[in-house]
Amino acid sequence: MSPRHYIVPAIIAVCSVAVILVALQLDESPPMIVGESMQPRAWPIFLMVINLILVAVLVLQLRKNTPDTVSLEPFATWGSMALMILFYALTTWVDMFVGIAVVMFGMSLLWGGRIWVSALTAILTPLLVFLLFDLVLQIRFPRGLLTNWYYG
Amino acid sequence: MSEALQAMGSVVLDPYLIGLIFITTVLGVIIGVLPGLGATTGAALLLPFTLTMEPVHAITVLATIYVSATFAGSITAILINTPGTAAAAATTFDGYPLAQRGEAGRALGVAVVASTIGGIFSVLVLCVAAPMLARVAYEFRPPEYFALTLFGLSMLASISAGGAVKNLIGGIFGVWLATIGAEKTTSIERFMFGNYELYEGLSFVPVMIGLFAMSELLVQSKLANKVVETVAMQAVKLPTKEDYKRIWKTILRSCGIGTFIGVLPAEGATVASMIGYSEARRWSKNKDEFGKGSIEGIAGAESANNAATGGAMVPTMVLGIPGSGTTAIILVGLMVHGLRPGPYLFTEQVGTVYQIFGAMLLANIMFLGMGLYAAKFFARISLVPMSILWPVVFALSVIGAYALSSSLLDVWIVLIFGVIGFFARRHGFAVAPIAVGLILGEMVETNLQNSLKMFEGEWWQIAMQPLAALFLVLAVLGLCGPMLFRLITGKKG
Repeated sequence: MSPRHYIVPAIIAVCSVAVILVALQLDESPPMIVGESMQPRAWPIFLMVINLILVAVLVLQLRKNTPDTVSLEPFATWGSMALMILFYALTTWVDMFVGIAVVMFGMSLLWGGRIWVSALTAILTPLLVFLLFDLVLQIRFPRGLLTNWYYG
Repeated sequence: MSEALQAMGSVVLDPYLIGLIFITTVLGVIIGVLPGLGATTGAALLLPFTLTMEPVHAITVLATIYVSATFAGSITAILINTPGTAAAAATTFDGYPLAQRGEAGRALGVAVVASTIGGIFSVLVLCVAAPMLARVAYEFRPPEYFALTLFGLSMLASISAGGAVKNLIGGIFGVWLATIGAEKTTSIERFMFGNYELYEGLSFVPVMIGLFAMSELLVQSKLANKVVETVAMQAVKLPTKEDYKRIWKTILRSCGIGTFIGVLPAEGATVASMIGYSEARRWSKNKDEFGKGSIEGIAGAESANNAATGGAMVPTMVLGIPGSGTTAIILVGLMVHGLRPGPYLFTEQVGTVYQIFGAMLLANIMFLGMGLYAAKFFARISLVPMSILWPVVFALSVIGAYALSSSLLDVWIVLIFGVIGFFARRHGFAVAPIAVGLILGEMVETNLQNSLKMFEGEWWQIAMQPLAALFLVLAVLGLCGPMLFRLITGKKG
């Protein structure tokens, strides 16, 4: 079995230990509130200890039955994830609906869509959903370039 | 009882509700035929749209999506060999071969009728079993609830996707997520890292949308350029007398199997359809036909997966323990609309509960009509280019998540859990255990705390309570049952 197969159990184990360490820093509650029950830190620590035991079992299972190597995803997958990061940036600094339209357009192109179909989808969908939420469900969206213009 | 019947009957006298069920059934069938979307993703996406509705209408929408999308997965399973939902995977084994032989209409006819019978049977069981279980659940105290929740979590080990250990790790991750925020009895902040928007804990809905819809988007991106071949079909044909003679026993058996599997916490339509299919094969006189276009195979899988829908609603509504991924969303819907799942729902909200049951019954009848007369049209919808469908899912996910509490944090949670869900699935971890763990997390911790207070710290007293002991034994069996079975029968693997 290649060391690559241990990466996932190792990540889970490290995260579990990190949670235990953070939990140990949590405040303690006075006995008159907690009584005979447990401190707030006890439960997450208990969960992570079980998780570490399960990780050990998982490693044993992996040694017994080596899993198939996961093949690398196509560019469309990683590109879609990158577009999500772009969405975060655009929503934070420009406008949520600009972010949605840009991501939809980019995603549609990445997935093999034609330019004009992608553009139409990217413009019409956010517009229709915005109108539905704004006029029917009366939800106010965060201020940005477009919403400032719409809300005034 | 009369109040319950009146409430169920009122569904057919309410034009608004009938219209809503009709529209939602159409939507559910569309969601079901679109490969990758499925009942759980569909319900997660639609949940924000139900916010302004009356509670009964909102839950009706979600429950109708559940039953109609579960059925509709069979349309694409038969016509394009791609199950619209995971629950229809077993239908492809015989549905597609039958369609290739030029009998697509017959295959769809059997699937529609078997699904309808399975769905109606399970709703009737739900109507009878849920109040009975609720009466038992009135007696539950914290130790019983704690043990019951542990039982629910232990059942995660046997969810269809992923291995038992991976599912349990996912479940524990979900339970840990539920500890984020201020602890309920002491108000001590846990894992908030100074973000006070997390004081009340992680909102369920954005996590669900992220885990189910956004992660599915990333999974589907691998299939972006897949070419789909369809099988030509003239019209859907109702089963003939000979067909009924061959399948009625299978349907009845699968109705029982599906409903029973559905009632088990954390199990769902996918497991039910696989068992329904294998049992149909086991009891059939024509075993050789299976895999080559057996109508018994289609009937076994389809009646079982639809029977699981009603069954899964039993623990969801009576105990607050989701019976499947989609009922986890419905459970969140109940809570968002101020309906507290549990036995008291059956005394405080009898009308609402039975209206929901009535709506599910009506949805089953409606999709019978749609399946018979519009399957061909719905099958065409499945050919919508993925380059249009999934960007639209992205937009609905982020806008829907924001609309819940007008918080951008919810939008970021959708994205984060989308990526977490994608990587989890990439490495063989199912996402449903995370969702179920998150929902049960607070319940299990609070009931453990209350039990410890009750018994003055003597935790072993929990196992001394007869009902709690029963659930704990079932939990151990849930965890070790498959291993014990292998040991007893001497099978490996």
